[in-house]
Amino acid sequence: MKAVRLTVRQAVMEQRNFWRSPEYALFTFALPLFLLLLLGAANGGSYLPGHIRQIKVLVPSILAFGVIAAAYVNLGAKMAVLRHDGVLKRIRTTPLPAGAYIVGHIASTVATTLAIAACMGVAGWLAFGTVPRLGGMFVLASGLALGIVCFAALGLAVSSLIKSAESASPITNASYLPIAMISGIFDPTIGIPRWLSGAAGVLPIKALADVLEDAYTPAAHAFPAVDLSILLAWAVAGAALATWRFRRQTA
Amino acid sequence: MSSQPAAAVVTGGTAPRAAVEVRGLSKSYGDRPVLRGVDFEVRQGEVFCLLGPNGAGKTTTVEILEGFRARTGGTVTVLGLDPAAQPARLRERIGIVLQECGFPRQARVGELIDIWRGYYPHPRPLGDLLAVTGLTADRNTPVRKLSGGQRRRLDFALALAGDPDLVFLDEPTTGFDPEARRRLWTAVENLRGLGKTIVLTTHYLDEAERLADRVAILLDGRIKIAGSTREVARLAALPSRVSFGVPETLRNGEIPAPDGVDLVVRGQTATCHTRNTAVTLRRLLDWAARYHVGDLDDLAVDTPSLEDAYLHHTLRSAGDPGL
Repeated sequence: MKAVRLTVRQAVMEQRNFWRSPEYALFTFALPLFLLLLLGAANGGSYLPGHIRQIKVLVPSILAFGVIAAAYVNLGAKMAVLRHDGVLKRIRTTPLPAGAYIVGHIASTVATTLAIAACMGVAGWLAFGTVPRLGGMFVLASGLALGIVCFAALGLAVSSLIKSAESASPITNASYLPIAMISGIFDPTIGIPRWLSGAAGVLPIKALADVLEDAYTPAAHAFPAVDLSILLAWAVAGAALATWRFRRQTA
Repeated sequence: MSSQPAAAVVTGGTAPRAAVEVRGLSKSYGDRPVLRGVDFEVRQGEVFCLLGPNGAGKTTTVEILEGFRARTGGTVTVLGLDPAAQPARLRERIGIVLQECGFPRQARVGELIDIWRGYYPHPRPLGDLLAVTGLTADRNTPVRKLSGGQRRRLDFALALAGDPDLVFLDEPTTGFDPEARRRLWTAVENLRGLGKTIVLTTHYLDEAERLADRVAILLDGRIKIAGSTREVARLAALPSRVSFGVPETLRNGEIPAPDGVDLVVRGQTATCHTRNTAVTLRRLLDWAARYHVGDLDDLAVDTPSLEDAYLHHTLRSAGDPGL
């Protein structure tokens, strides 16, 4: 019970800290929203093969981008900075269980990510009239839940590999942006070699975008079990790597 | 000091009198032994200083006491607990001031201390912590705007948040200017005034001499010598130095040099080294009276300092015949 209370307190403090640092808040919130409005206005009206309006794919794609920016980039960079500033070391001198501290950060990240997802959903609806279909709500919820867990775990994992506070932000950004591009996040019509798109297909960015697209496309599909499995597999891999690295670094 | 009323502080029947007891502590990294049978104890309410050159095993010893590092052999009891077996319970009752530890960048002083208080079962009141560390006026200051000295005081405030019985200070004044050092010394003395036991490591012998009730010198993985600062200085069996201004008549050879005193005259000053200051002084004063040289001008006795004793031990162990 005490651990829960401590975790909640930690999450509240992290939320407060997040909103206090304009560069994080701005980057995490404003960039996806800006991209959504820009790309939606530029390309949203055109049609994709299969007679689907491109905006139907762009909104969930940029939504996936927002989730990744909030969960992966934000949490990964923050943890790396906390480690290199010696804050994690200082936490170890207290009786607070390391788990409560990290779960507090994850809880704060989940709150931030859900807020971004909600903002972008509303923006997609208000600006382009694009909403998920009613029957896709469960798929949307599963995709968001697994996506947040998966990218938070990968963020923690990558944070443990970063060697300095200065490189935290560049490394977290550089490690996913190219993959986001070949995954067609910013331009679903992007032409890339087949082997590259095959590689992108087993990575979690494309999987998350596909699950969210599934919830937004008008016609019902089969449940996107493969994509959700890919997200789950990456979540497990990320959590395992992060746990192993954190244990080793605190041993 | 040995018959202090520690029993009044002891709460359970199991708590020992000593805050820290270390017996036969050994630690090896692979085949390389770092500690080879370390014995010492820290009494409740005292400031205990662990001295030694770099690589002697100070940090390893302290990290074992704090429960961060497993030992290879020996027994260790800290506040009645085995740090290796119960690190979480131990950390509820100790405060640790590490070197170069950062703060969350966006936090403010008061709320950070408050969060830290939440980690402990019996925290000190926030206002109290701010007052003790002189941060009351900075309560709403973002930590990134604090000066170096203020950050150090925040280190203290966080280490004291849980109202610890035992505080570890790891080289607390490294890189400080003289004024900041003095302020920190006052803070440590205030801590002792609160009845805290303090374990200090430092490179500065004047710091140890000023703050510590007892010191132990760790050399090559063993305690070379331990005791009060005076005892350690005395146990090194270094002579005291007696000096005075050379009387005119002695310099001109009109009177003989004092008997039984190994006097060296250099310029205006006569100096001798002695292991029995009282006898030497009596001989000098008798001699001065007999030959009517009056009171000896600038008569001074320098007893060996902790620094002399430390250098004596560390240089000898390094094979340097200098002392």
